[in-house]
Amino acid sequence: MAVTLFLTALVAGLAVGSVYGLIALSYTVLFNSTSIFNIAQGDLMMAGVLVSYFCLDRWHLPQVVALLAIIAVVVALSLIEERVAVRPFLRRPGIGLGWFIATLAFSLIIETVASNIYGQNPVVPIPGALGNGTFTVAGVHVATKFILAFVVMIVVMVELEIFYKRTWLGTAMRGVAEDREVAALRGIDALRISRLAFVIAGLVTALAAFVVAPIVSSDVTVGLTYGLKGFIALAIGGFGSLRGCVIGGLLLGVAEQMFDLYVTSNYEILAALILVLIVLAVRPSGLFGTRAVRQV
Amino acid sequence: MSDIAQRLQFGGRTWLRWAIPAALIIVLYIVPQLGGSSQFRLGEYEEVLSFLVIAVALNIAMGYGGQYILGITAVFAVGAYGAILAAKYHPQGIGLLAMCVIGAVIGGVGGMIIGLPALRVGGFYLALVSLFAALAIPTVAQKWAFVGADTGIPLYAVLGYSPKLSGELLYVIVVSLVLLATLFSWALVHSRVGHRFVALHTSEQLATSIGITAYRTKLLAIGISSVLAGAAGGIYVYTQQFFAPGSSSVNFAVLLLAGMVIGGGGSITGPLIGGAIILGINQFFTSLQQYNGIVFGVLLLLFAIFLPNGLLARLNVLGERLGINPPRGLGVPGGRLGADLDPAAAAAAPVGAPAAPVNGSGPGAGLTTKPARQLPAWPPVIGAGDSGALIVEGARRAFGGVTAVDNVDLTVKRGQIHGLIGSNGSGKTTLLNLISRFYSLDAGQIRIGSVRLDDKPPHAVARAGIARTFQSPKLMLRETALENVIPAVELRVRCLGLESVLRLPRGIRVNRQARAEALEILQTLGLHHVLAQEASALPHGTRRLVELARAIALRPSFVLLDEPAAGLSPVELELLAEVCQNLARSGVGVLLIEHNVPMVLSIADTVTCLHQGKTLFQGTPEELRANTSVASVFLGIDEPLETPS
Repeated sequence: MAVTLFLTALVAGLAVGSVYGLIALSYTVLFNSTSIFNIAQGDLMMAGVLVSYFCLDRWHLPQVVALLAIIAVVVALSLIEERVAVRPFLRRPGIGLGWFIATLAFSLIIETVASNIYGQNPVVPIPGALGNGTFTVAGVHVATKFILAFVVMIVVMVELEIFYKRTWLGTAMRGVAEDREVAALRGIDALRISRLAFVIAGLVTALAAFVVAPIVSSDVTVGLTYGLKGFIALAIGGFGSLRGCVIGGLLLGVAEQMFDLYVTSNYEILAALILVLIVLAVRPSGLFGTRAVRQV
Repeated sequence: MSDIAQRLQFGGRTWLRWAIPAALIIVLYIVPQLGGSSQFRLGEYEEVLSFLVIAVALNIAMGYGGQYILGITAVFAVGAYGAILAAKYHPQGIGLLAMCVIGAVIGGVGGMIIGLPALRVGGFYLALVSLFAALAIPTVAQKWAFVGADTGIPLYAVLGYSPKLSGELLYVIVVSLVLLATLFSWALVHSRVGHRFVALHTSEQLATSIGITAYRTKLLAIGISSVLAGAAGGIYVYTQQFFAPGSSSVNFAVLLLAGMVIGGGGSITGPLIGGAIILGINQFFTSLQQYNGIVFGVLLLLFAIFLPNGLLARLNVLGERLGINPPRGLGVPGGRLGADLDPAAAAAAPVGAPAAPVNGSGPGAGLTTKPARQLPAWPPVIGAGDSGALIVEGARRAFGGVTAVDNVDLTVKRGQIHGLIGSNGSGKTTLLNLISRFYSLDAGQIRIGSVRLDDKPPHAVARAGIARTFQSPKLMLRETALENVIPAVELRVRCLGLESVLRLPRGIRVNRQARAEALEILQTLGLHHVLAQEASALPHGTRRLVELARAIALRPSFVLLDEPAAGLSPVELELLAEVCQNLARSGVGVLLIEHNVPMVLSIADTVTCLHQGKTLFQGTPEELRANTSVASVFLGIDEPLETPS
């Protein structure tokens, strides 16, 4: 019994952790090319969840259509954000965290608009792409939506690794973050690269929205929560490392469930807070951190 | 008070500068007479007022210190919970003061728990970790019966609890507390502690180069701000007699941020104005609350992009046009600096330099005539106990596959000028940054005499007596030239930060002394006409001289100058050479990185030439002139350099 409880918690933790991992990956894609940490990523994901709710619950459209619609909306919002909230700061030389305030403001706008669109409707479950079924392994019920989240995250990570290592564009995207001026001298258009980074990050976020909707249902007010947990996954895993994102996300997801199970239930958010404070105190660069975050 | 008299003398409408805030304060006190004084209304006003205290706290850490503790509402919440729990279990003994103290202590501890780990990484990590705390604390409280779970703790329902203060008296006291917090923040930012905050905010390298300990200073900014936010929790609990998770949601943190950004962070009154606007709208226009997120989000975005210094900066510009403010950035007689310039010093001002900063030599004017006065001696104060030289031994540092500094030996003797020349990319600046500990060595040693420096943090290098300038001058651009030099003096005129903030006798004396010494050094460099100008308005050459003044103000044993001559006018160049020689005469060791080889050769005692990270030559200027390898590397010729006639 105890083992079953443990395994059930582990599976749930890995699934939610996959979502944190996906958000962390989208942060990393952006940070690698723009040196900007986009706190609005969590709310962009919630915009995707809202689209998913309309497509699947209200209009009963096929899953594929829903996926395409989510991608379209999230990527479009991502590009709008790049234009209105980020680009003015990329052009500006020098230091400062003005961009942080701008992305936080953008996040607030998306959240308010989304919750006004959603209105007072009760939170409803959203059907998953692989149905709402479960199957049983060694007495543990595993929901198909959990499997989907995990698989999608792994695939995204592997794809990104290949993209960064094997393609010219991927190398260019990392070069821009290293030094915008030198990259420009090598014929890399930094603005186009940062737009591209927003597209890719938007794509990853859209996938996160697609897999998270069946797990969290249609609550669109928790964007900032997910955004911050994605950051914590990143801080645990280490900045700049794709694998760090994935492992940080999974660790966070599992730690939350274990805290619930063995320490005290209902306080899983405390587990995340304690975990990140400990990691920062003991190993500030994270478990897999390759480089220190640039001093800003 | 003579300061006020000074300002009143100036111009026709400057009295408005005092009359406007005074009128606002009076209005603040009589708000209940204007807007209704029912118990409920008073409670609402007091709620906003307690939030304004958090705004003041946030401004100290973020507006001045540059530390983005966005989730300061978490600190407010733990302070408030501490105060309300104390009152719940000791209903008889806990008054307003006790609540504030309890809130301040618990808030301070909470701020440290967030700050200590988060600051190890710095930058936006603090913003995110603290925001997460602001999210987590109400979420945890919602489920926790001890703190009243979702419904919170109503103090008015606690048997035996009866607050001594209420009604309009309480309102007046709370307004006074807000003003007290504001006054405290003013005293803080105009003290040695505040100077450190601004230096650190500007650039960590700049701050550590004048001996400021970055981590400790950041922690201090967060600590002070947390104590204040925790005390705000105490005020909130006393006036509302209630605290629940909903009292401090994470969106509230964003509202506070919006108030600060819109009003203008980094000014004393900006956050109060912005906070009053935003929090007022949020409190009293509840019908729109559903859309507030959009309105505030858009405002925040627009201000962050177009008016990063906030409304107050705009108002100040308007005030200048209307003649209410003295024009910023001009050393106006009778202005703030007029009081500093004692007549004797002005009379002794260098011949030929404009005696008063009048038209024509306003902003943009570099040094055109050199000060005729003899420079005073600047004997080392910091690190003077040691008599050893600054020694670099076998220094090596690689970046990726490039070895920028490769097995370099170098000795800077006290009282001598050591020139360091070499083409671009030869490793000169890297070597300097190695000495400053901005980079760490891969191999080798750096020491003064026998005291190792290469295992010390950057600020310890400055505290060991090594001052430096930067290749592109690092100045606090929103501060005046004088204010840029003062923090360097303050490193060596010691007193407790608290004495300086609270203006205790020694604090006042030391504050004055720092100002006077900074003033004197700037004047001897002929910079009296730019004392009160904002650094952003200074031409490049003048910025270099201000930086030089800052380095001298440390009264170091060694000075490292990174291409100080670049962009100087001929007159300024001559002054620079004199300053270097004067430093050496005073017993200071000077390491001079320069491309201006004739100048280096004319004043240096020893010259090192670097080429591709390696030492190509080391010796006296005469030996260098006779050296063929240097000539061939630099000029592509096989003959020794001609001795200039």
